[in-house]
Amino acid sequence: MDEEPSSYERVAYKNDSVYHYMKICLIFGNERKPLSAEQFKQLIISGLKELYGEVGAAFPFDVLTFDQFVLSAILRVYNNGLVKLWSALTLIGSCENESCAFRVTQVSSSVSKLILVLKSTGTSCRSL
Amino acid sequence: MSSHLEKCARSLLVCEKSSFMNEASRHETHVCKHSFNYKISVLIPECGVLPADIANVISHFKSYFLVRDLPVYKFLDAKFLDTVKKGGFYALSYKTRIDEDNVVALLSSGHLVLSLDKDTYQQLGLEGKPSEYKHRKDMRYVVTVDLTDKSLVPGTKRFQQVLLSLKERVPLKSDFLLTRCPPGAEEDGELQALLSQHTYEECRPTVISRSLTDIPRPSLHPSDLRGNAHSCTPVQFLEWLGSVNLNIRCNNSASSFLSTYVCPEPCATVNKVLLCTVTGFIPPEDVYALLQELRRCLAEPGFTDWVSLTVHGFADSPVSWGAAEHGFLKGGENFYNLVCFKNQDYWLHMATGSQDGCPP
Repeated sequence: MDEEPSSYERVAYKNDSVYHYMKICLIFGNERKPLSAEQFKQLIISGLKELYGEVGAAFPFDVLTFDQFVLSAILRVYNNGLVKLWSALTLIGSCENESCAFRVTQVSSSVSKLILVLKSTGTSCRSL
Repeated sequence: MSSHLEKCARSLLVCEKSSFMNEASRHETHVCKHSFNYKISVLIPECGVLPADIANVISHFKSYFLVRDLPVYKFLDAKFLDTVKKGGFYALSYKTRIDEDNVVALLSSGHLVLSLDKDTYQQLGLEGKPSEYKHRKDMRYVVTVDLTDKSLVPGTKRFQQVLLSLKERVPLKSDFLLTRCPPGAEEDGELQALLSQHTYEECRPTVISRSLTDIPRPSLHPSDLRGNAHSCTPVQFLEWLGSVNLNIRCNNSASSFLSTYVCPEPCATVNKVLLCTVTGFIPPEDVYALLQELRRCLAEPGFTDWVSLTVHGFADSPVSWGAAEHGFLKGGENFYNLVCFKNQDYWLHMATGSQDGCPP
C-alpha cells in the first residue's frame, strides 16, 4: 500500500463500457407459466432466431439475475447486440401458447446504474 | 445489418484520483453539489457487522417529509421564503416523471427549478429556456426562479408576477419530498410548523445491512486509477460493485449457459463483505457526514484497506450536479462512487447517462 498521498488525476471515459444492461420482466396475458432461468433464456433465444435467423441471432448475452416469482431479470449484452436483443424482446408474443410480453424497465451501460424500484422514494419504474 | 443499429446512446464516466489531505481536493464540493440522493450503499470488505460509529451517523440522518398536494406557490410564502433563504432546504416533486410530467425541485441554493411540458410553459408565462435534451422540436422547458433574489420579496413587481403565474395562471401542485439541513444550530420542528396546514407524513431513511460471505473481490491499488497494472479498470470495478449490490453471481464458468460474468482480475476471495444500503430523501450534508466517519474508521488500525460509498441520485430529478440539467431517456442514471483508501487517497467515479452534462 502506498503511503505517499496520490497526485491529482482525472480521466473521462465516453461510451467506454462494452456491455449494456437491461432490466426486464415478462408478463402473461392470462395464465402465468412457471419458468426456470434456463427456460427464460431459451424463450429469448427462440425470439431472436425467429426474427434474425440462426446466424443473425448468434451473439452472446447473459442472464445475470432471474427472479422466478415475478419473472424479472437483468440481462447483459454487448453494445452491438443491444438493438437486436431489444427488438426481439419486443416481438416475443407467446410462450408455450400463452400470450405474453416483455417489459423493458431500464437500460444502462453500467450495472451499478440499474436502480432498484423503491416505492418509498417514488423512484421511477416505467416501460421503455 | 445496418451499422447504425449497433450504436448506443452516449454514457459518461468521469474518474478522479486525489487525496483527502490535498488542500485543493474537491470531494466536498462534488458531494455537496449532488442535491437529490435516493440511495447510498456502503461496502466494507473484511467486515461482518456495521461498525457502531458508522451506524450512529446513519441513525442521525435527517428525517424527510412526504407532503401531499402542496401548491408550488406556497414556496413563495413569507415563512417558507425565510426558511429557504437560510439554506439547506431541499424539495423534489414526488412520483413525477422528468420525461412526461411537470417536475419541480428546490435546491439548497434557493433556486426553484421547474421542468415543464410545452403547454404548461406557455400558459405559465415565466421566462425559461428550452430543455437541452430534445428530439427535434422543443417540447420541454426549464424555468429557474432564484428565491433568494433581492427583487423577489413580497410586494415587488417581480414577486407579484411569479405569484400570479404559479397561483392563478397555472396552479401547479404536486406531492413533495422535503428535507432540511439547517446550517449552524439545529432548528427542530421548524419544517413541521411550515407544513402544519398540509397533509404530510414524516419518514425515516430505510437502512438495510447485509453480510455477504466468500465474495471474489478485485484488488485495488490507490495509485492505479486507470487499472494499468495492479487494479482493474474503473468500468470493471463499477460492474463488480453493481453485481454485489444486485446479488449477481460472479463465479460463473466460461461455458455456462446462463451467464459468463466473472469478477475482474486480479481478484481475491474475501470471507465477508458488509453491504449497508440507506434509501430515502438524503441531503448531501448527511452523505458528507457519513464520508467523514468512514474516513475516520479507515484510519483505525485493523480496519479494512478500502471502503466504497456509492450515492445514487433520483432518476427523475431535473438536475444532477449543481444546476446542470438532467434527463431520463433510458435510465436517468446519475450516481457517484467514492473509494476511500487507508492512506487517505480516494477515487471518485461519477457517471451519467445520455441526457446529462459532463459531471463537474
